[in-house]
Amino acid sequence: MTEDPNTLRTPLGRVRYLGSARSGMREDWFMRLTSVALVPLTIAFVWLLLSLLAQDYRGVRAELGHPLPAIVVMLFVLVGIYHMQLGMRSVIADYIRGQAREWALMANLFFAAVLALACTYAVLRIGFV
Amino acid sequence: MASTDAAPTPARARPLSPHLSVYRLTLTMVMSGLHRITGMALYASVLLLAWFLMAASMDATAFGVASGFLNSILGRLILFGFTWSLFHHMLGGIRHFIWDAGLGMDAPEREWLAWGTLIGGFVLAILVWAIGLAVYQGASVS
Repeated sequence: MTEDPNTLRTPLGRVRYLGSARSGMREDWFMRLTSVALVPLTIAFVWLLLSLLAQDYRGVRAELGHPLPAIVVMLFVLVGIYHMQLGMRSVIADYIRGQAREWALMANLFFAAVLALACTYAVLRIGFV
Repeated sequence: MASTDAAPTPARARPLSPHLSVYRLTLTMVMSGLHRITGMALYASVLLLAWFLMAASMDATAFGVASGFLNSILGRLILFGFTWSLFHHMLGGIRHFIWDAGLGMDAPEREWLAWGTLIGGFVLAILVWAIGLAVYQGASVS
């Protein structure tokens, strides 16, 4: 039997029908993938944030108008929001039961989607308008 | 969306797993809780970031309101909390990478890692603000 290199599921786990049947490992894997990306992005973002906070309107517009800072902010926001939405998902799964869980999971995705779009749109608008 | 069953209503009380209060409080337990709490705090603070970016994308008046709040004492306190949460959570994540590699799980190592995360988070946050304030000191807010 050939081993699927893209799965972390062990052959024994498959035989016993234990563990995730479908996409559970994928969620776990994306949490780690985004964590790795967020280490350098966080450092770069905090560095940028400190310089942005001290500046006035023109200064902030000028700085975020450059491609590199704009890309750093957008990457941090998009990867960060994907990561935090996964984190909130497991918090909801841990603490909320029944029908309320479905609503909470939906609200989590809506919140993440709106914020991701708002931040990206704002940075692009600074750059292009 | 994951399918979740409605909580079953048992005919009689089922055995429960031991509650949190049963265990003696240890540093690694506190760190586990802090990782989650800082994560939730960061979740909320993306609202502030979105406000700041959207204000900057609009006009000088909207930006002045956002920037004025963030540079007030309350705003600065929130931002310090945000940077601390960010660094604490980042170091916590690096601790998890070390564990994923199968290292640092024995008693002395995990205690050291916990202390390193706890102290490192504060050190990085204070260091960054000290540098930030020193470099950009006197820069006025519009």
